[in-house]
Amino acid sequence: MSIFESAVEKPISTLMIFLAVVVIGVFSYLKLPVDQYPKMDPPYITVMTTYPGANATDIEQNITKHLENQLNSVDDLKEMTSTSYDNLSVITLEFEWGINLDNASNDVRDAVDKTMRYLPDNIDRPTIMRMSTSMMPILVYAVTAEQSFGGLYKILDDKVVMQLNRVDGVASATVAGLPERVVYIDLDPNKLDAYGLSIESISGKILAENMDVSAGSVKVGIDEYSLRVEGEFDESEQIKEISLALAGGKTVKIKDIANVRDTLRDITLEQKVQRGKGGILLVTKQSDANAVAVATEAKEMIANAQKDLPTDIKFTVINDSSDFIVKAIRNLESTLAYALLSVVIVVFVFLGRWRSTFIIAMTIPISLIVAFIYLLVVDGSLNTITLMSLSIAIGMVVDDAIVVLENITKHVERGSRPKEAAKYGTNEVWTSVIVTTLVTIAVFFPLTLIPGIMGIFFKPLGWIICISVSTSTLTAISFTPMLCSKFLKNRNAAEEEKDGKFSFFAWSNRTFDKLDAWYERVIRWVLVRKKATIAAMTLIFGASLILLKFMSTEFFPQNDMNTFNVYAKMQQGQRVEITREIALKVDSMIRDIVPELKILTVSYGSEETASFASMMNTTGNNVFNMRGRLVDAKDRDRSVFKVADSVRKLLKTIPEILEYTVSTGSGGATGNSVDVEIIGHNFQTTTNFALDVARELKKVEGAEDILISRGDDKAELQIYLDSEKLARHGLTTSGVGSALRNKIYGARQSKFKEEGEEYDIIVRLEEQFRSTVTDVENFIITDAYGQDVRAKELGEIREGFTPPSIERKSKQRYLKVSITPDADHKLGDIADEAKAVLAKMQLPDGVTTYVGGTYEDQQDSFKALALLMALALLLVYIVMAAEFESFLSPFIIMLAIPFAFTGVVLALLLTNSALSVVAALGAVMLIGIVTKNGIVLIDYINLMRERGYELTEAIALSCRSRLRPVLMTSFTTMLGMLPMAIDHSEGAETWRPMGISVIGGMVFSTIITMIIVPATYAATNKSGNRKKNVEEKKSYKFMGDFDPERDLPACKQINK
Amino acid sequence: MKAVFISYNQALTDRVRFLFDQLRITGYTQFPLTYGQGTNGGEPRLGTHAWPEMNSSILTIVEDEMVPVILKYIEKLDNVNKENGIRAFTWNIEQMY
Repeated sequence: MSIFESAVEKPISTLMIFLAVVVIGVFSYLKLPVDQYPKMDPPYITVMTTYPGANATDIEQNITKHLENQLNSVDDLKEMTSTSYDNLSVITLEFEWGINLDNASNDVRDAVDKTMRYLPDNIDRPTIMRMSTSMMPILVYAVTAEQSFGGLYKILDDKVVMQLNRVDGVASATVAGLPERVVYIDLDPNKLDAYGLSIESISGKILAENMDVSAGSVKVGIDEYSLRVEGEFDESEQIKEISLALAGGKTVKIKDIANVRDTLRDITLEQKVQRGKGGILLVTKQSDANAVAVATEAKEMIANAQKDLPTDIKFTVINDSSDFIVKAIRNLESTLAYALLSVVIVVFVFLGRWRSTFIIAMTIPISLIVAFIYLLVVDGSLNTITLMSLSIAIGMVVDDAIVVLENITKHVERGSRPKEAAKYGTNEVWTSVIVTTLVTIAVFFPLTLIPGIMGIFFKPLGWIICISVSTSTLTAISFTPMLCSKFLKNRNAAEEEKDGKFSFFAWSNRTFDKLDAWYERVIRWVLVRKKATIAAMTLIFGASLILLKFMSTEFFPQNDMNTFNVYAKMQQGQRVEITREIALKVDSMIRDIVPELKILTVSYGSEETASFASMMNTTGNNVFNMRGRLVDAKDRDRSVFKVADSVRKLLKTIPEILEYTVSTGSGGATGNSVDVEIIGHNFQTTTNFALDVARELKKVEGAEDILISRGDDKAELQIYLDSEKLARHGLTTSGVGSALRNKIYGARQSKFKEEGEEYDIIVRLEEQFRSTVTDVENFIITDAYGQDVRAKELGEIREGFTPPSIERKSKQRYLKVSITPDADHKLGDIADEAKAVLAKMQLPDGVTTYVGGTYEDQQDSFKALALLMALALLLVYIVMAAEFESFLSPFIIMLAIPFAFTGVVLALLLTNSALSVVAALGAVMLIGIVTKNGIVLIDYINLMRERGYELTEAIALSCRSRLRPVLMTSFTTMLGMLPMAIDHSEGAETWRPMGISVIGGMVFSTIITMIIVPATYAATNKSGNRKKNVEEKKSYKFMGDFDPERDLPACKQINK
Repeated sequence: MKAVFISYNQALTDRVRFLFDQLRITGYTQFPLTYGQGTNGGEPRLGTHAWPEMNSSILTIVEDEMVPVILKYIEKLDNVNKENGIRAFTWNIEQMY
């Protein structure tokens, strides 16, 4: 017994099987985590090597070069870039997406081991780090306070950070931009001199005093006591009272020679939140934790913690990536609901009966729910990709059920009992239903084979559509016949009459009959003029190719994430006070021109120690960073890109700002920049050329945020020691270096402990004695013989510039000039402009250029898509050629495809969208969708021909009878995509081009298919059958003497 | 009216269809696969391992005048290759609806 017979015979079993699927599906849905993108491990491995005391060039030659030579042979390596800084070499290895990074790490470790013997002796082992998306914070809060600002760091650290770190999945919670408590001991060099003391001796004394020492145990009678010497400070005041021994047995207290301050660290990086005092709280997640779950729990934790905090401490969200994810997912869910609704409405309009509509609608949830089971099995998540795939699938999963239902309805209307009709009706169409599904799978299955980052995005799409469509076919030949056998009713003529003329069914039937008749007339008209029609169509397609020239390209449409970041650099060596002044001026100007602003934070200056925050932003005394958050997308008219443009325009007018970038969004999966890479060995030549390129690019309209990756030379005071003099004093460079370091940076040997927290005790010279070059020159250094020498006696102090960090790519020195397009320009156009600019410029000797960046990814992706399209076309042809047992028919059907592309081009141009990877993917999908129409048509024409209808008649009748199914499947697909194409809420930007291109392609190709396919069929099929009969007659010789006129009796003669 | 029952090796299916086409016989009932064996030397057609071949049978009801024409060409067809084997049998039709 076949599957549909069993299903009809055992309706309860069938129902239960599908119910089980639905139950498991719903269970899976509830278990699935929510995320923005599928899980992806960025394929980057970094090798960091420190070699203190070497400058960038030494690092490059002695370390980076050797490591690069060995690392270059690691398997699957895509690109190797390196930066050599002073003391530090950083090599970044980019691998192909989707490779096993554990293996890659091992390979890298082996390569590093091999290099060790070439590296300088006594160097530390290079550190191998894996990059991870979890380094980007998922939550960023601005914390403001008034009265409690002084203790803010401590309060946050105790009450919030500690608790946050306990939240499952939180990797770290960090407070940035807030001063930390510290104990300063500022010394007066003159007094030190007078008493014969040194910073080192005082620091050593403090370390020696600030200590508890266990001295063993003492037995007293029957008891045993442990003996301890207690010295650790209970409060910082004790430090003041420490007595220092002087020569001659006298003592002096620290408070007499130093200023002891228990205070906040003098910070050079200052943070302003909404122009008030405040700091930033950053929360990052572990890489395998779920962003939404972690953020939700962390937010709850902060809300709870806030109850215990002083009331003037306020938390404002600057960036909450989970918020965006949740909103995007909610929007997609409503897109899905609208798609479902519109598909059901289309089905109802065409079928006119609620029972039939219900039967068709039932297949949708079943087919989609199976996708959730798949996702749970492969450890996937509910993300924008998977939800969008479902929304694409909605329009397609009803097709099979419609075909089956239509055939069953035909039998029922002839008077068969629904049960019989269900069995035999399904039997007649089930093979063709499977074939059309195979065509769809032929297009979507190749998606699962895409490599690289595109694969991460499109693999789930391919799988989900293949699975949903396969399930829908299975449902259509089992569940649908079962429902038909139970729900469809035999209607006799009397009942039809009772429904009356004015029932919806009667009305829709009449309307569609009229449409069918009109279409038949059109086809008959076309068939007479088939050559002219084909010529006209070819012309239309040719015209669309010309339109292609006006098409701009981009990689991924940018998401409006409500946030923008400003980075601005001013004159090298500028005092932080000036930077602050300009930053605050820009702050208030931005507030004026951006009324949509919700919160704006500013930070400027450089941090003393490398901290987490400074890893994400470039900081410096001449640099300020801003982070702005706008109100939600639906509450404003301007997109964040337009806002960024207006901020850029503002920054351009401020003369002090030399270089700026305004980036939108926060750490999306894809960037949006064109990088002009300038490769060449000579620093001076390449830097100058880069400056020239940047100057030329600034003239290009729409090119913004032009940034040169090589930093300016750093100004610094360099002390060149004379080895002769050093030797005479028994000193070494490192000894002098650390003596100077202790004076300025401070000796930090001991820590002050309070309530389980440790604070630095910093012993150094008071600021007024270390702020001029003369001060430095006059620093007193005690030599090996106990005599004091001045720094200037040991060498000379020069003002100089350190060489910039050295960047290398594929073992060659390079630097890049990156460009971001503004809101009105597309990536592809800017890249073309940049290429044109480069072509015009004279390349210096030994310099080559290359245009890369996101643009390169875009080009790679388009290439991959082109290959994918070729594969899809071939597979579709194979499936169809097998189905029709013909080499020619598939060609006729596939004639629709070029017109689908014409439709895509038109739709994208009309909506002013660029051809992004997403839109191109829509075009690939169209291959599968539009051929379906042709298949339905050709299949029926072939059938009519076999039944003996004359060619024109066969075509006209088939077209008339197939119009409704074609329109119905086209409309379900189009309306399924419509919500996607017109949605304007969070996260919709990504998928809108796909909706637009699919709808455009569908509309255009459906209209064209309905005309060109019949015309071409007629033009290519003139004499096929007649020829076949003649040949058959020749081969059957046993009837060679037969003559119908002579041999047949009168009853068989045809009347003339 | 007469009934004509034709039984033949299924390898002759296309020729029989051609014969019906040519003689303009539109009404028939066909049994695509039948088992059988001839009385006078016809080898068994049982679809078994020993006798793997199969027959096809066709039953058609025609005007009396058609019978000789049909039989004539069936015989001609048989003569092309005796090994295939094709036989036709006719009888009277008493009544029909």
